[in-house]
Amino acid sequence: MDFKLTEEQELIRENMREFTRKYVDPVAVEIDENSRYPEEVIKKLAEGDWMGMPYPQEYGGAGVEYLTYAIVVEELSRSCAATGFTLSCHTSLASGPIYNYGSEDQKKKYLVPLAKGQKIGAFGVTEPGAGTDVGAATTTAVLDGDTYVLNGTKTFTSNGPVADTFVIFAFTDKSLGPKGLSAFIISKDNPGLKVGQHFYKMGIRASQTSEMILKDCRVPKEDLLGKEGQGMQIAMATFDHGRIGIAAQAVGIAQAAMDESISYAKQRIQFGKPISKNQAIQWMIADMATDISAARFLTYHAAYLKDQGKPFSKEAAMAKVFAAEMANKHASKAVQIHGGNGYCKGFKVERLMRDAKITEIYEGTSEAQRMVIAGNVLR
Amino acid sequence: MPGILCCFKWVVDEAYIRAGTGKELDLDWVDYKISDYDRNAIEEAVRLQEKHGGNVSAITVGKPDDTKGLKDALSRGPEKAYFINDSSFDNLEPSQTAAILAEVIGGSSIDYDLIICGEGSSDLYARQVGPRLAAKLGIPCAAFVQKIEMEQDKIIVERKIEDGVEVLELPLPALVTVLPDINSPRIPGLKDTLSASKKPVIDIGLDELSGSFDPCLRTISISKANMERNGVKLSSEPQDISSLVDALIKQGVIGGVK
Ligand SMILES: Cc1cc2nc3c(=O)[nH]c(=O)nc-3n(C[C@H](O)[C@H](O)[C@H](O)COP(=O)(O)OP(=O)(O)OC[C@H]3O[C@@H](n4cnc5c(N)ncnc54)[C@H](O)[C@@H]3O)c2cc1C
Repeated sequence: MDFKLTEEQELIRENMREFTRKYVDPVAVEIDENSRYPEEVIKKLAEGDWMGMPYPQEYGGAGVEYLTYAIVVEELSRSCAATGFTLSCHTSLASGPIYNYGSEDQKKKYLVPLAKGQKIGAFGVTEPGAGTDVGAATTTAVLDGDTYVLNGTKTFTSNGPVADTFVIFAFTDKSLGPKGLSAFIISKDNPGLKVGQHFYKMGIRASQTSEMILKDCRVPKEDLLGKEGQGMQIAMATFDHGRIGIAAQAVGIAQAAMDESISYAKQRIQFGKPISKNQAIQWMIADMATDISAARFLTYHAAYLKDQGKPFSKEAAMAKVFAAEMANKHASKAVQIHGGNGYCKGFKVERLMRDAKITEIYEGTSEAQRMVIAGNVLR
Repeated sequence: MPGILCCFKWVVDEAYIRAGTGKELDLDWVDYKISDYDRNAIEEAVRLQEKHGGNVSAITVGKPDDTKGLKDALSRGPEKAYFINDSSFDNLEPSQTAAILAEVIGGSSIDYDLIICGEGSSDLYARQVGPRLAAKLGIPCAAFVQKIEMEQDKIIVERKIEDGVEVLELPLPALVTVLPDINSPRIPGLKDTLSASKKPVIDIGLDELSGSFDPCLRTISISKANMERNGVKLSSEPQDISSLVDALIKQGVIGGVK
């Protein structure tokens, strides 16, 4: 067993850390405050080839392992979880299914500009009446000659307001149940696709989230992703990959919470000594360090299995649920260590606590992860 | 088309040095990095190449396991690297490093017009390797350079000196040591790091050198500097300012007024 990252992976992590110090840390507070999409940061990420990391160079990506991708998402999220998610949603949710299920032509047309970061991607499966229960979706796609006509409303579409390319799910045949769901690639200039209501959120506020409204949205047959009826499979497989990124995001948030806690505890003086001299504070930080290591190993292990071509769905769910819950616990403890300051704007832990919550909700709630894990271990 | 050599040292990253339980420093978990000013040296070499063409090679003296440093340097733009390494090259004295570099650069077929070094290394900061190397090679040298203009057979450099800026013209080949103000080093992108592993590294061992370079520096101990804090909080109110002055006089930090 080898727990060592390669020299390349170490350098890549260090370069991303330097990138965040230079370009992300300086804007993180402001983009959170204003719910602003950091377009200039995303452009810089594209210039550094960070927007299509796991896809082969022939498709515009960098061709690195998923483990390397997870390391980068972790490091980016340590600085700003919203920017980390903008990247991971673009990479794993939107570009992922096109890479895994797209035809050669679709990859050339859609994946290449996504992986190069020239275009931004989004993924729409959730609807107002269909969250955890993906099969309850009501968006339909009816074939009319050579085009499908889509009608329905997607909600909570991350990157929706800024994306160029969407992977959208609709029922081609509702009577078939889950087997009637299909996936489509839709461009933002399709007149039948409109950005609906924007959501103003508790956390990851710089990540843009909106409804997407499909009204007689005509999608040519060649933009059907995979086969008709393959939608549920595509959605579930995409979540399996994506969860590794969310687990990494949660590890990054928790790491930042610990970084902040250590530096604050060492310099905050109460009763004539730094609060870090109290065992009560030390134990909180010891628990953070332990849980972060555990979550990181679970995350890297899931990524490793994927890189080895082994099944990883259970491990990705384990990493996601454990990392998300520990990030929430420890972001809250980090606020505790900061006392009243931690509850106020101006201290990073306040943002971290708000940002952590979403990791328990999207790409499958913690409950949904446990369903996946139980389904695997009780087989 | 100029040939540019940039020298770099792989040093302990001070951010990882921690206080031990006693007086000593805990170096067990340290990581390494390209010495800060050498990053500026590499960056400047690459910028000159981007402007004037030619080629850039990186060169370092170190231990055989310093391979990460080579990848790091090559990800910043040079197209190849010279890796002069031996397990005994641990605590080299600056004159030894300069002698090793001079032997390899002067004695081999390395074609160069300009050598760029950092002003000093971020560990020893003796600032000697550059000037000593130039002396051994018998080429002109300008240290503490903040700007380089390259022309046909010469460079015009700005040196930052105590009273101002000195502008010098140096015929090529020449050596300069650069200040951090000269540029802001790029952050390697993902593909830069990936392609670095594929670039050629010319491995040069101790047996290819004529001199012997037995360590002549021995580290006896490294201990931490303790900063005591009094934990006294003072505001900018007049009475607090006078109590600060009183406290400083009492501790002998400043002299009292009679
Ligand atoms: C900021 C944000 C970004 C998002 N980005 C995207 C995106 O880009 N694309 C996209 O398609 N979706 C996105 N989503 C949607 C997200 O994936 C869903 O919110 C999530 O799957 C939960 O669905 P829901 O909100 O409808 O909750 P519900 O499914 O209504 O769940 C409510 C609660 O009931 C629990 N629950 C539901 N069913 C069961 C069950 N069978 N057993 C036990 N407990 C159950 C849940 O775990 C949860 O605690 C995003 C959501 C948010 C908030």
